[in-house]
Amino acid sequence: MATKVKVESTLPAEESDLLSIRPLGAGQEVGRSCIMLEFKGKKIMLDCGIHPGLSGMDALPFVDLVEADEIDLLLISHFHLDHCGALPWFLQKTSFKGRCFMTHATKAIYRWLLSDYIKVSNIATEQMLYTEADLESSMDKIETINFHEEKDVMGVKFWAYNAGHVLGAAMFMIEIAGVKILYTGDFSRQEDRHLMAAEIPNVHPDVLITESTYGTHVHEKREERESRFTSLVNSIVTRGGRCLIPVFALGRAQELLLILDEYWSQHPELHDVPIYYASSLAKKCMAVYQTYVNAMNDKIKNQIAVSNPFVFKHISNLKGIDHFEDVGPCVVMASPGMMQSGLSRELFESWCSDHKNGVIIAGYCVEGTLAKMILSEPEEITTMAGQKVPLKMSVDYISFSAHTDYQQTRDFIKILKPPHIVLVHGEQNEMNRLKTALIREFEVDPKNKMQIYNPRNTVAVELYFRGEKTAKVMGTLAVEPPKPGNILSGILVKRNFNYLLLDPGDLGRYSDMVISQVVQRQSMHYNGPINLLQHILTQLAGPVESLEDKKLRIFGCIDLTLVDKCVTLEWIASPVNDMYADTVLAAVLQAESVEDVPKSMPSTPTKMDRMHFKECLMEMLQDMFGEDSVPKIFKGDKLHVTVDGKKADIDLEHMVVLCEEDELLQQVVQTAVSKLYNSLSPPKVDTSL
Amino acid sequence: MPSIIKLHAISGAQDESPPCYLLQVDEFRFLLDCGWDEKFNPNFIKELKRYAGQIDAVLLSFPDQQHLGALPYMVGKCGLSCPIYATIPVYKMGQMFMYDLYQSRTNMEEFDIFSLDDVDAAFDKIIQLKYNQTITLKGKGYGLTITPLPAGHMIGGTMWKVVKMGEEDIVYAIDFNHKKERHLNGCDLEKLARPSLLITDAANCMNEQERRRVRDEKLMTNILQTLRKGGNVLIAVDTAGRVLEISHMLDQLWRNKESGLMAYSVVLLNNVSYNVVEFAKSQIEWMSDKLMKTFEGARNNPFQFKHIQLCHSISELNKVPSPKVVLASSPDMESGFSRDLFVQWCSNPLNSIIVTRRTTPGTLARILIEKETSPFTIPLEVKKRVPLEGAELDAYLRSEKGKSLSNIKRYLKDFFYKIASYPNKFFISEEYSSDESDNEMEQVALGKHDLVVKQEVKTKTGFFKSNKKQFPMYPFYEEKIKYDEYGEIVRPEDYKMTDLTLEAEEEVVNKENVQVKEEEMPAVDINEVPTKCVTTVRNLHVAAMIRFIDFEGRSDGSSLNKIVAQLKPHRLLIVKGNPESIQFMANYCRKSTDAKVLTPKTGDVVDATTETHIYQVKLTDALLSSLEFKKIKDAEIAWLDSKLAQKEVDEVIYSEDVTMSESVLGAEIPTLEPVKDLSLSHHATFINKLRLSDFMVVVKKAGYHCEFSGGILQCCNGTIALRKLESGTVTMEGCISPEYYQIRDLLYSQYAIV
Repeated sequence: MATKVKVESTLPAEESDLLSIRPLGAGQEVGRSCIMLEFKGKKIMLDCGIHPGLSGMDALPFVDLVEADEIDLLLISHFHLDHCGALPWFLQKTSFKGRCFMTHATKAIYRWLLSDYIKVSNIATEQMLYTEADLESSMDKIETINFHEEKDVMGVKFWAYNAGHVLGAAMFMIEIAGVKILYTGDFSRQEDRHLMAAEIPNVHPDVLITESTYGTHVHEKREERESRFTSLVNSIVTRGGRCLIPVFALGRAQELLLILDEYWSQHPELHDVPIYYASSLAKKCMAVYQTYVNAMNDKIKNQIAVSNPFVFKHISNLKGIDHFEDVGPCVVMASPGMMQSGLSRELFESWCSDHKNGVIIAGYCVEGTLAKMILSEPEEITTMAGQKVPLKMSVDYISFSAHTDYQQTRDFIKILKPPHIVLVHGEQNEMNRLKTALIREFEVDPKNKMQIYNPRNTVAVELYFRGEKTAKVMGTLAVEPPKPGNILSGILVKRNFNYLLLDPGDLGRYSDMVISQVVQRQSMHYNGPINLLQHILTQLAGPVESLEDKKLRIFGCIDLTLVDKCVTLEWIASPVNDMYADTVLAAVLQAESVEDVPKSMPSTPTKMDRMHFKECLMEMLQDMFGEDSVPKIFKGDKLHVTVDGKKADIDLEHMVVLCEEDELLQQVVQTAVSKLYNSLSPPKVDTSL
Repeated sequence: MPSIIKLHAISGAQDESPPCYLLQVDEFRFLLDCGWDEKFNPNFIKELKRYAGQIDAVLLSFPDQQHLGALPYMVGKCGLSCPIYATIPVYKMGQMFMYDLYQSRTNMEEFDIFSLDDVDAAFDKIIQLKYNQTITLKGKGYGLTITPLPAGHMIGGTMWKVVKMGEEDIVYAIDFNHKKERHLNGCDLEKLARPSLLITDAANCMNEQERRRVRDEKLMTNILQTLRKGGNVLIAVDTAGRVLEISHMLDQLWRNKESGLMAYSVVLLNNVSYNVVEFAKSQIEWMSDKLMKTFEGARNNPFQFKHIQLCHSISELNKVPSPKVVLASSPDMESGFSRDLFVQWCSNPLNSIIVTRRTTPGTLARILIEKETSPFTIPLEVKKRVPLEGAELDAYLRSEKGKSLSNIKRYLKDFFYKIASYPNKFFISEEYSSDESDNEMEQVALGKHDLVVKQEVKTKTGFFKSNKKQFPMYPFYEEKIKYDEYGEIVRPEDYKMTDLTLEAEEEVVNKENVQVKEEEMPAVDINEVPTKCVTTVRNLHVAAMIRFIDFEGRSDGSSLNKIVAQLKPHRLLIVKGNPESIQFMANYCRKSTDAKVLTPKTGDVVDATTETHIYQVKLTDALLSSLEFKKIKDAEIAWLDSKLAQKEVDEVIYSEDVTMSESVLGAEIPTLEPVKDLSLSHHATFINKLRLSDFMVVVKKAGYHCEFSGGILQCCNGTIALRKLESGTVTMEGCISPEYYQIRDLLYSQYAIV
């Protein structure tokens, strides 16, 4: 479908076939997702996140490379910081004036998640990107979209599918002029305890922009993973240790809580060991989880009618480290998930030197964060205060992050069969591995011409789509069935990449446009007599129609009235008529300037003097071809001219010249005759216009 | 060739019967709504039954009985088996409506028109949609897409847009509300401009609504007055639709400390009130922007009621101290608690009864609206279910015993058969018997338990674990004695007399002359007490104040006409509404639009085919780049002179062939090419509708003096005058001057001239 063609440089942006996909963040990295789409003059930004491993302005995607005010549309896939963290900044601190959409659940959680982020990062960094007030006012600029609901923003059609990653996570299908692009955001095809698996769209996208966080990694089965997790937690607490699980406050945490609560209720011997969930944020957002059950899986939807699965029996809330009595074995889930700062960091620092304790990293960690660092099991770590502390506690990694793995991605691609795949949101190596693996997987099929790209940040992938433009012919123009060679003339209406060809008369019927008429009436002073005016006009425009007393019609469309030394011209406005009107106006001014008005006007010939014409013609031909080329006398309308023995017949009635022997001569004579005729005949106006 | 479009009005045309229309687009038949009136009129359903097998899809607009009441019957009893499309709230709330209706009817009579299983079967067929979700139909409906659009009125309320690929767009919009309300947004008219066929109703065409504030104040003063006098207020509302608006409003009113309402109780009473409120809580994304915003901002769920109590029966209601406001279903008062309470309360002049919508003529609510001045006396059929007593009970028990004996025999036979078939898994029998435990009689007969184990009731609502005590052996709850400054708190339940209902009832009965007409209809009831249904006709003296306060939430007359005129449909089909209002609307639309207006009667089949000519052409890049586009509003236009390209394949694709297959479609669309022939010329066309007031702004902005006088725009000290004639023609007059040409340029810039 996409073929490389030369783009005509003269073509305006909206007619161009170039689709450019340019990651401003998340290109060969994880974090600060931000991808620019440009096609047909429309600019769309997908996600606007920050890099969790960086702070301040450094954490932003490379948005300085685009003009914020030119962006028409901004879509946010889900509420994680690396997908929406820069949004308040972008909405409030740049000139962006397009529209911004996210799902209902995302918006509700976004508000609290970012407010939490502001509070947490206030401790770590001074250079804040935005304040609580910015966040609050950004809420008004965000519009919501329901799953499967189609929206149309200036010809860009888009709708969302469930992505399964966290509550409210969406994949966006974007359609511009018939070209469909699917942006998956973060997605997971595995159903878990509360979320459904990502949906598979029933339309085939032309371009798939997919995450590649886990590269070629294959997740272990859900059951295995869960049992490994629970037995690990069990062994840590039974050896008398404290178990720290750093998590994102929202999203995967809810899943882990469901697992732990169920495990505890099945193991009464553990009832003495408290589980704490240290997140005021999660408590705040519980109402959101209880409300947007429609975005969860069927199991939860059915269960919620009976009792709320998010009411936990064995888990207590921990308000903060001040309320925490560190007396014995316990399980604590604390945010942030990568231990950049905050409670999880504090607890980690105070527990890490005891070998009985354990930390379980349950999610994906970005390069540069403490969580990522301890996975390589260093001897000691540096605390936030700068001290070096030995790391003795056990460190385990069990991935609960609901990201697609190689199998899921491959199957997803197999079903969708996109001709182009753009990989984003993955470390460089993982991404390369995934690319190679996918190419190998699909090269077996010779019919498959799949292209895979893994652009770096700020490097654009350029694709060409020859969009077929079709127009609908409607109404009077379409009464006659289309036959090759027929001429179609009408008004082409273009709206949102749709074309409609209509007869002007049908415009009101098939569109909301209205045909109007403008009548002009110009008046000016004229002192002279009317016959002078008439004379000059006749010389100019040929026969002048006299409509009534002192009212003339010139060129068949300009009405001239002379009343009390005032000339009024009236006509229906159109470019041609305006020109005639100006001519008439000039004539009137000329008549006005004639100082010495002759008593009687010579009558202007309104009919052609044929005798005169014939004389002139003879003379001209004699001048052209010599005295002898034409007979001296002729009657009627037939004349012939002889040049070099070749004879050309002239039919004066129809002004047609015929010379069978020499076509060149025929043309020469014909031109001469018609030109002479035109110059001698009185002015004639084609009044059909 | 255009598609054939026909509409068969099975019900709900030129009267106020519930909507039910058969829309045929070529071969595909849609059933638009499937309503049934309050009295279950069997006539039209007979007609509808005949088409049950032919219907290919059902589209539902609203969740109430008026719009989907006949669905359980059609699916359960008539074998309707096609997919049904509805939004999620219509699905959820529709179920609530039907459950409540069934329960209300069962509470007063033998109701066998449909069963709860039929309701479930019907709702299982529903495909749940979101607004603006486009569904492409397959098979026979190839080329058709359907899209639900928000209609206001009730949560999830839908206007349907049916599009035949590339040509017809049919809009089915009835009972919509364009106004924003407390809990709902208004309908979305933007997406509907210029449909080729608009099917709408004129039911509200002659009614004018009060302003919202006036109406709300009226309700408020009414409630306050009655409560202060010590009377109760009965508000007849529906089960899960408009009730949300009123209950939300009342809860807000009660929250207002200055309203003086805090002392009184407000109750939401229907058979499913708990579920309705729960569903409402989880459907915030379908509600108004304002509610969504407060939820996102403050996490306040608007349906987390602070003051409204939920009740499911009259006895629960009686525990709520009077005076009270009761929101009871159904709005028509033909069945349900609203009727029961009406019978109880109508004779007391202190009480007041508020009807919130105009229901079908002949229903109790409508009769009350028409009378409106109390006191008066009306004869009313009172149906209720009473427990069997004395001889009847004996007879019933005897027959049941016979039945249960045979049941036991059958059961034991099954039981042994089962054991025999699982010789190694004898223990399975335990599970097995618990599977069958729904049959009460069998359990008793087997004598499985004589020990009653009370299920521990979980009533926690918080998110996290509370420090609850563990009971190693017997549950023992130590009750804490609550006390305030006056001592131990008195629990009214302890002092309440049981069976308050019956007594209250009897009081009323004694006062009146009653003609009892008993029908012996013993049956097993859900309460497991043998009961029978009794019908009595009583002359009720209505002394309570009766008020009609319009909470219908539908667009009123003047706006309805304006909306329809603004949509400018090519064809307009008016259904529903009394003949005068239909006539009124039809006349209005004929005058203000060029639409062809059709007004079918019930049972009519009207042909609404539009003879639109249409075909598709491809545009080459060369052609497009040669065009000069002029911008006008959100569109661009250009004059196009072109030639249809020569092609070997002369066959021409008309849109009728669109139905065939896509591959055919792509291959044979004729292509347009540019023509270089200069002789082609055309008249210039001015496109746009100029408003002189807008133009004045433009002129002023350009720095010229201008003003309006007598409808004429005078520019440049009166040397130039612009006026607009009736026909829409704009005339420009003036002395010849540079300004004339400058103003003219400005004027031209207002038009797209091609």
